[in-house]
Amino acid sequence: MSIRTISARLWSAVTSLKLTIACLVLLMVLVVACTLAQVRLGTLGAVDAYIRSLLVVWKVPGTAFSIPVFPGGALVGLVLAVNLVAAQVNHYQLGWHKAGLWVVHAGLILLLAGEFVTGLFQVEMQLPIEQGQTLDFIESRRDVELALVDTTNPANDDVYGIPESLLASRQPIAIPGTGIAIRVHSFLRNVELLRSGPGAPPSQATAGVGAEVSVRELSPATGDDQSDVRAALVEPSTAGHSYGVWLVSTGLAAPQSFVHEGRTYALSMRPARQYLPYSLTLKKFSHDVYAGTDIPKNFSSLVHVSDASRAQERDVLISMNQPLRYAGKAFYQASFGKGDTLSVLQVIDNPGWLLPYISCLLVGAGLVLHFALSLGRSLRRHSAALEA
Amino acid sequence: MKATKWVPWIAFTLALAGAGAALVPPGTVRGLDVDAFARLPVLEGGRIKPLDSVARNSLLMIRGQQSFSQQGRRVGADEWLLDVLFRPEVADAQPVFVVDDPEVLGLLGMRQTSERYFAFATLAPHLAEVERQAAAAREINDKQRTRFQGAILNLYDRVVLYDRLQNTVQLTGGQDLPADQRQERFEALAAFRPLPPMAGQPADAYRSVGGAIRSGATGAAMAPLMLSASSWSAQDGAGFNDAVAELAAAHPASAVHKAANEQLFNRAQPFYLGMILYLLALLVLFVSWIWKPAVLQPTAFALLVAGSLVHTVGLVARIVLQGRPPVTNLYSSAVFVGWSAVILGIILERMYRRGFGTAVAAASGFVSLIVAHHLSGDGDTMEMMRAVLDSNIWLATHVVTISIGYSGTFLAGAIAIGYTLRRHIASRQDPATSKALVSMTYGVICFALFFSFVGTVLGGIWADQSWGRFWGWDPKENGALLIVLWNATILHARLGGYVRERGVMAMAIFGNVITSLSWFGVNMLGVGLHSYGFMEGAFWALAGFIASQLVLVALCLLPPRFWQRRTGQDLPHGSIASPP
Repeated sequence: MSIRTISARLWSAVTSLKLTIACLVLLMVLVVACTLAQVRLGTLGAVDAYIRSLLVVWKVPGTAFSIPVFPGGALVGLVLAVNLVAAQVNHYQLGWHKAGLWVVHAGLILLLAGEFVTGLFQVEMQLPIEQGQTLDFIESRRDVELALVDTTNPANDDVYGIPESLLASRQPIAIPGTGIAIRVHSFLRNVELLRSGPGAPPSQATAGVGAEVSVRELSPATGDDQSDVRAALVEPSTAGHSYGVWLVSTGLAAPQSFVHEGRTYALSMRPARQYLPYSLTLKKFSHDVYAGTDIPKNFSSLVHVSDASRAQERDVLISMNQPLRYAGKAFYQASFGKGDTLSVLQVIDNPGWLLPYISCLLVGAGLVLHFALSLGRSLRRHSAALEA
Repeated sequence: MKATKWVPWIAFTLALAGAGAALVPPGTVRGLDVDAFARLPVLEGGRIKPLDSVARNSLLMIRGQQSFSQQGRRVGADEWLLDVLFRPEVADAQPVFVVDDPEVLGLLGMRQTSERYFAFATLAPHLAEVERQAAAAREINDKQRTRFQGAILNLYDRVVLYDRLQNTVQLTGGQDLPADQRQERFEALAAFRPLPPMAGQPADAYRSVGGAIRSGATGAAMAPLMLSASSWSAQDGAGFNDAVAELAAAHPASAVHKAANEQLFNRAQPFYLGMILYLLALLVLFVSWIWKPAVLQPTAFALLVAGSLVHTVGLVARIVLQGRPPVTNLYSSAVFVGWSAVILGIILERMYRRGFGTAVAAASGFVSLIVAHHLSGDGDTMEMMRAVLDSNIWLATHVVTISIGYSGTFLAGAIAIGYTLRRHIASRQDPATSKALVSMTYGVICFALFFSFVGTVLGGIWADQSWGRFWGWDPKENGALLIVLWNATILHARLGGYVRERGVMAMAIFGNVITSLSWFGVNMLGVGLHSYGFMEGAFWALAGFIASQLVLVALCLLPPRFWQRRTGQDLPHGSIASPP
């Protein structure tokens, strides 16, 4: 078989309508599987397993092997996108009578592209902020960091954040400018912390509160309303001198610090932070209910934005269905707590957020165009029939 | 005038006159104007509504019906509520608690007999045990509860509702408590707030009797309320009627007006009437296929149009009363999906005139209103919208378009079912009708794809506005996506010629399975952000529906040699006619 026939066959397979239908049916199967799996894995886990993966794998029970058993959403979406583009090129003649369908399918390709961009680039953070508090950072909902904070100067802190990936690699980490290096003895994804006692041996920490705490390892949390408690045993040291092994965990609230060369360093594990070039102050959080009931009517946060670099000093009311879009990030009212004095804003950075809007406009306009052109044709036929 | 003209018109007029008759107010009960009392506005569930709505919803929750008969007399919800409020000794003896679960009956020391309804007085000796069992059941996650645990909790919740109603205007127990604790208890127990706001307060600042006594400012309505209580208790007609009139005068005029309108709506029961008219239309149409089609087919259509008018009036009344777009919860989505399927069916009937539009419209309207009827047992169907849903723009665009998409998919499925049954039952095959049905189905699927796609994308945009992401793979979003994907699959399979007449029809019937799963099934998973309509009891109903649809798909796919095959010539001409 010549290369020409092979490529012709391949081209006809790539552009075929059968492939479109196969992709649509596979997508349906994946969507059903993903929906059912949410009960077990939580939304994020199910989406990662079925939709944002090239292959759906099955872990053989009792072994470390995983076997791919089904194409994943990303693969099917990719094939569908290629098929859509190729079919447009191949089947549809350029011309006015198919113009509407061209626009519709272009919109669909954009919609698929938008989901890919979201899957790859969207960053979801959050901003828990109390009334009267001013913050210039947002926090990750899942990732943690080891923070080494030089608190010697009461006016400002020097913060060294060590990301989770570095901790997990368990390499010695040198803190620039301090002479301190940190050795990671162990890093655990999810633990339960207990006061040590009979049957609960203390952790291997030699300094700080960790010496009295027992650590029990758990499997990672899966449900949407559960979150992991991370923990690590770390040992800060300088050439020749160790400051002891410390237990750090997101489940430990007690402050722990050591003194090195006359400077005090606080050591903690906390949600990974991203610092912003501006600050937000929560002036007031409101939680309205319907009269005589507990049914929530509205949640809103009155926030002051202070940004010297953009010369912005203004108040914004963030409420349900009314986000603040600022400097590429969108701040949404997500949750609340502490007797209605704490507001939790969800912070989304999605460079592709406009794509679905454009796609929606394209598909809508395309359908209108298609219907208008079809109507025009049938009216012309009708009048031709009348004249004849 | 010929019978084909006047019979449909008479049927249409009679149907509307029958619907109008439901608006006539009932007479007094033993000379006491119960209707005027039921018209009084109160605040319950965060909104101002007539006592009539409180009465109907409470009795519906406790007994599963809006009235009951006792000693050969029909006791309406309003009269029942008056007894609960003011004559506890009478109300306690009325058999209003429905108990079906054999294990719960066993706990109450009773055997399962034909008697399913029990009086509060019968339950009273067992309440401590019911409370203990309910407290234990409440500890368990609602998905892991056994049937007994679910049933006992349900009974306990109904007893609590009954107790709160009894303690709304008069405190029945707690005589041994100190005065301030009694008042606190009284305020906390109130099931609704009957006293209008004091001058200068917002319109929804209604007050409970206990709250008014605690605050020391009782206002103008307290005295007539107490008077109506004592005169109902004494069954003093004149005194009661005067007290109620004085009580009404103490309420703001706007609240009185709003409550009166809602009472009228409750009494008219437009969706119940619509259901009956759709059923009549369907029956007349069935008869028309074997007898006098020329007269009965237009008559069926006239009944369908009358039903759709009543349905429309009900829908509009709800929109006006609630100040919201038509779809706000699962109940109203069923009402709306049915309505748009009926309207689509009427349009199809006008286009094709084969009686088929009438059949599928009447069947879809009837079924969806039955579904709505069963979804209304949870209480107020006009409940307030939770924070994130409190957005008329998105309710009006996303929710309405997606519901139209549902109804289109269901209608296509209904036509396909009609096609299948006709193929197997009808005495004479008629390719022209089959062709018309296929083209109807194709058109409706295009329509459904358009609306479900636009509705899904609008939903994504709403999600982007409120949760910050366009698409979160939430079960309800996935359900909507499945409908879009399935309709797109049907159209592409037809375009490629991979399926023909029977294939398209079988796929359209399977669309019913997908739509019902997306509409109701995802609520049963109990995960995700759209958990506004969780229901436990409907699981088997849904499973049964899906099984029936799969059987129909199989019937549709049977090769032609299994179909009913008789030719028209074998039979006396005109004696058995398929739809013309």
